[in-house]
Amino acid sequence: MGQQREKNRIVVLRVNGEEHSVAVHDSETLLDVLRDKLRLTGTKKGCDLGVCGACTVLINGEPKNSCLLLAASCEGTEITTIEGVASGGELHSLQRAFINHGAIQCGFCTPGTVMSAVALVDRNPDPTDEEIKEALSGNLCRCTGYTRILEAVKNWKKYKTIKESPSPSYDLDKFKTVGRSSPRVDAAAKVSGQAKYTADYYFQNMLHGKILHSPIPHGVIKKIDTRKAEKLPGVKLVLTGKDVPDIMYGVSPARYDEYVLAKERVRYVGDEVAAVIAVDEKTAEEALNLINVEYEKLPSVFEPMEAMKKGAPQLHDRFKNNINTVVDHHFGDINKGLKEADFVREEEFVGNHVYQSPIEPHASIAYWENDGATLVLYSSTQVPHYVQYMVARVLDIPLGRIRIIRPHVGGGFGSKAGTTPLDLITSIASKKTGRPVKMVYSREEMFMFGRGRHKQHMKFKIGVKKDGKITAVQSRIYLDGGAYSSFGVVTAYYAGSMIPTLYHIPNYRYEGFRIMTNKPACGAMRGHGTPQPRFAFESLMSMIADDLGIDPVEIRLRNAMDPDTRTCNDLDVRSCEFKATIKEVRKKSGWNQKYGKLPPGKGIGIGCGGFVSGAGYAIYRGQVQRHSEKKPETFMKKAVFPHANAIVKISEDGTAVVLLIQAAEIGQGSSTVLSQICAETLGVSLHRIRIRTEDSDISPLDLGAYSSRTTLMGGNAVAMASKDILKKLFDMVSRIWSCSSQELEAKDNRISHKSDASRVIEWEEAARKYFNDQGPLVGTGWYKPPEGLGGDYKGAAVGTSPAFSYSSSVCECCVDLETGKVKLEKFTDYHDCGTPINPQAVHGQVEGAVVMGAGETLMEDVRYDKKGNILNPNLHDYLLMTIKDAPEIFSGIVDSYEPEGPYGAKEVGEGATLPILAAIAHAIADATGVWIKELPITPEKILKALKQKKS
Amino acid sequence: MILSGMRFHSPRTAEEAVQLLSDLKGARVLAGGTDLLVDLKQGLTDVKDVISLQDIEGLKGITKERNRIRIGATSTPQEILSSSLIRQYFPALTEAAQSMASIQIRTLATIAGNITSAVPSADFPPSLIAADAAVELLCTESSREVPLSGFFTGPRETVCRTKELLVSVFVPLPSSNTGISYQKCTLREANSLAVASVASRLTLKNGKTERAAIVLGAVAPTPVLASKASAHLQGKAPSSEVFEEAAAMAKEEGKPISDIRGSAWYRKELIHVLTRRSLSEAFERAQGKSRTKK
Repeated sequence: MGQQREKNRIVVLRVNGEEHSVAVHDSETLLDVLRDKLRLTGTKKGCDLGVCGACTVLINGEPKNSCLLLAASCEGTEITTIEGVASGGELHSLQRAFINHGAIQCGFCTPGTVMSAVALVDRNPDPTDEEIKEALSGNLCRCTGYTRILEAVKNWKKYKTIKESPSPSYDLDKFKTVGRSSPRVDAAAKVSGQAKYTADYYFQNMLHGKILHSPIPHGVIKKIDTRKAEKLPGVKLVLTGKDVPDIMYGVSPARYDEYVLAKERVRYVGDEVAAVIAVDEKTAEEALNLINVEYEKLPSVFEPMEAMKKGAPQLHDRFKNNINTVVDHHFGDINKGLKEADFVREEEFVGNHVYQSPIEPHASIAYWENDGATLVLYSSTQVPHYVQYMVARVLDIPLGRIRIIRPHVGGGFGSKAGTTPLDLITSIASKKTGRPVKMVYSREEMFMFGRGRHKQHMKFKIGVKKDGKITAVQSRIYLDGGAYSSFGVVTAYYAGSMIPTLYHIPNYRYEGFRIMTNKPACGAMRGHGTPQPRFAFESLMSMIADDLGIDPVEIRLRNAMDPDTRTCNDLDVRSCEFKATIKEVRKKSGWNQKYGKLPPGKGIGIGCGGFVSGAGYAIYRGQVQRHSEKKPETFMKKAVFPHANAIVKISEDGTAVVLLIQAAEIGQGSSTVLSQICAETLGVSLHRIRIRTEDSDISPLDLGAYSSRTTLMGGNAVAMASKDILKKLFDMVSRIWSCSSQELEAKDNRISHKSDASRVIEWEEAARKYFNDQGPLVGTGWYKPPEGLGGDYKGAAVGTSPAFSYSSSVCECCVDLETGKVKLEKFTDYHDCGTPINPQAVHGQVEGAVVMGAGETLMEDVRYDKKGNILNPNLHDYLLMTIKDAPEIFSGIVDSYEPEGPYGAKEVGEGATLPILAAIAHAIADATGVWIKELPITPEKILKALKQKKS
Repeated sequence: MILSGMRFHSPRTAEEAVQLLSDLKGARVLAGGTDLLVDLKQGLTDVKDVISLQDIEGLKGITKERNRIRIGATSTPQEILSSSLIRQYFPALTEAAQSMASIQIRTLATIAGNITSAVPSADFPPSLIAADAAVELLCTESSREVPLSGFFTGPRETVCRTKELLVSVFVPLPSSNTGISYQKCTLREANSLAVASVASRLTLKNGKTERAAIVLGAVAPTPVLASKASAHLQGKAPSSEVFEEAAAMAKEEGKPISDIRGSAWYRKELIHVLTRRSLSEAFERAQGKSRTKK
């Protein structure tokens, strides 16, 4: 409201056929009025600059970005929002199509995309593929890869007559629910705009906070004068470094190095200096400009190679020469391995600084309940438990006094895998003001907060025998870490540890250095530390294959990992159908007819990858404890506490199953997969399951959505809790029937005797009887990774996992040899995810990974000027692929069974990214004859290389 | 940044609008808002009064007026790409409109905004200049017509005075042996500014080029006519060799900068390629071989 300084006027807005008289001021956008005043929060704020399309509404039937419309200008128009698309309690056929075709993941872009699609089919009910792509090209989606959105719109008319399409299943002989491509359990809420994300919550008497960021890359705060800001009407609280605890936080316990607000030093443009809490966001923003900070500028350094040099500016006293982490791993004998090789090739590669760019900005809301004894924190996070842990640590209160709520999350990809300043500042400020405090990042702040992918400078050397068999692999990698540690220690280890999981490598040496620079901290992004080394390694493998005249597919088959193998770095591989993925992509893509045989400008390439199904060890080792009672934690090769826990609770009438687990649904589909596992194990229909994952007061600890862990770890906990229920029911029923509980089975909503068909009882009847006689029917389950994972060397814990996934991808592309522009035509991908719980969800993850991976290979790069300012902290200039850029994708699943996984399942989320980068680089090399070894592979780099080759 | 402190005015006529422009110091015209609001939100500019054009009927519409087409100032790219009149006479303009941003922006943005914002990479100006378009500027005292080729003076700078309002764009109807083609290169397929763009126009007479214009976008502070390259074509029979020569000359006439979208070197390379391609297509169109791609 800008505090009495701005006059309101009453405008009459016609929204979804209803008239609203709203007091607005002239500067307010339609988006803000819809959300903040009419509380129609289905319309989302993603970028606020007219690029992402999440705020799309229809004005007189035409799709427009409501963030670029002044509310005052909308009088007299017919406004349609997502809330107005369904009518009479019935979803629009398009919405049904989105649900059934798996076109929804995190759901944050969904309302805007649906609006664009509605506008399209209203004027053109039978659009062509090209017309659909054109109509939806203003809606950025970071999850789906657009494949299923296109399918949904193509098939929308079918859903005029049907509600659901029969979902094809993977292995119905064995299972009823597992293996079925069931629609997401949260799809209807997301497609209708009902699903609430953190920023969609409003509380009475709520305040809003904004952060003052450092404008300089490196300096000492000499003085902060907040008096003027405090006097601005509407400002309730101004916080600076002196007002926050002297406790550092971060991600890796060994390297906590951040304060909630800078105590003295600032180390990058964007570092948090102060925070203002005010009656509204605008007032808070205005007050930031009234805070006077005197800095003593320090010299800064932006390039890791410079930062390591003697005399370079030092970011932290404890990290000498700015070296944050050093890894030196040596397995086998690298010199011997290289000597044994018939052929050795060494190449240097450079990665890029990629930002996850979820469409939902980070947001937090905090308040205190129980007379100020309990903190309630709403957070847009992938890791509610770690946020709870970290807030407990920094506030020095018991973990049990914090109730963390994770509403729907609009994508994370690693950007929301740590505790944010928003989590901590809202917690502190709501305590001090006694009022709910909400904070939401702008798109620019998201870029400044960072935690994106480390840019890696890589040197790889591979030695092979004449037949292509690997004898040795050596790598040296410098990771540009930015100003703080974040996940970076682990990133540096991952950059090396995953390389030996894919191929048999007898001798391996990896040296890694994570270097600090005056830029936003880098963290964990999809594939954590491994996509760039994998890009380098796979590219080099293809180069070597060409050098030796071996087919690139063949050289991979000759070296590919086998099941039940201990890798040279002591990782235990169980299920492994890597070879099958290679063979399948070769066949399906027509590789043998195409590789090396396509005309100039057309190319085909292959890339492969593998990843963990959940980290073998938690990020912090010890028991849950507060800062002040922290004792030294010694590392033991076992999980101290269960990483995933589930409670299954049956409703008193027996008809509903409430599944409680804190597993973080961030769009990847975990709630659906876990519900399917629950239904399968219990022998009931999927629609009976209601999963509750949001509230730590309700659902037991799960470590969250990172390291591709949820299906395997959460799934095992859910299966165990479900079995616990069955045991209780079977015990009861077997007593009644005077048989053994082993003779019973639960299937199709019934419990029956396996060999006597006459003995059968409805599932709910049995459950009701249990409740009547013995009280609540509750089952519990938990999962701890196997003990003893990993070797005994320093850093051996990173890379350990109960299981590893594998995948291969073939890319076909077309390159304009005159401009260097690449058009991705087709991807053929096969993934070994064990037995899929939900094949459609698996394909959705793969398709999303292909497009995200392709974007980071071809166009994504956070760029800086010479003063450490980000040049492209917006979606205009940081380019995410649109539906028009996305290739056609075929995603296949190979037969596989992982004994450690629930129903044989393992990961797909992150691993699917790994093959993509090199597959594209290889296809471009095949099309042009030039290898680009520096990401992103821009048209300019290709053209330059082509010109150099010519001359 | 959250917008604040603005006053919103919505005059009903162009005359009222220019009166407001004259009365309110520092007032800015709000056409589609896709540039102005983005700039305001990024803190790149500041404004007290915005004068919305949306309620002015007289600024709307695309009509044929004798030997030229009038495009009303607030015509949106979506209206332009849907206009059969434009498609018939200026397929290059249809394609320029199609290539712009996304549908959510194309329904908001206006041709006047695209021109007066004077962003070097704007999509409409190159083809319009090649087509000899002019703009009509109105102020309280008078109105004047300015050829678009003389309109731009620098990045985000034009001859349009602060109290003037662009009310119409006039494009003369081309002779049947004229062809115009607009080619651009972007880093992604939608919602992306041109790294470089070229509009080429050829008017043929007796198998020779009577009139040629090659207009370059995004490679100089303003859209620029590659005059040497254009002159090179004049009086010559069109051929791939001549086009290649002109393209090589155009490449040297661009004065690109290096920025986040591409280096000066790359932009020059693009001018070369895009000029050649646009000349070929313009030639086809001049011969009546191809009208629009879609």
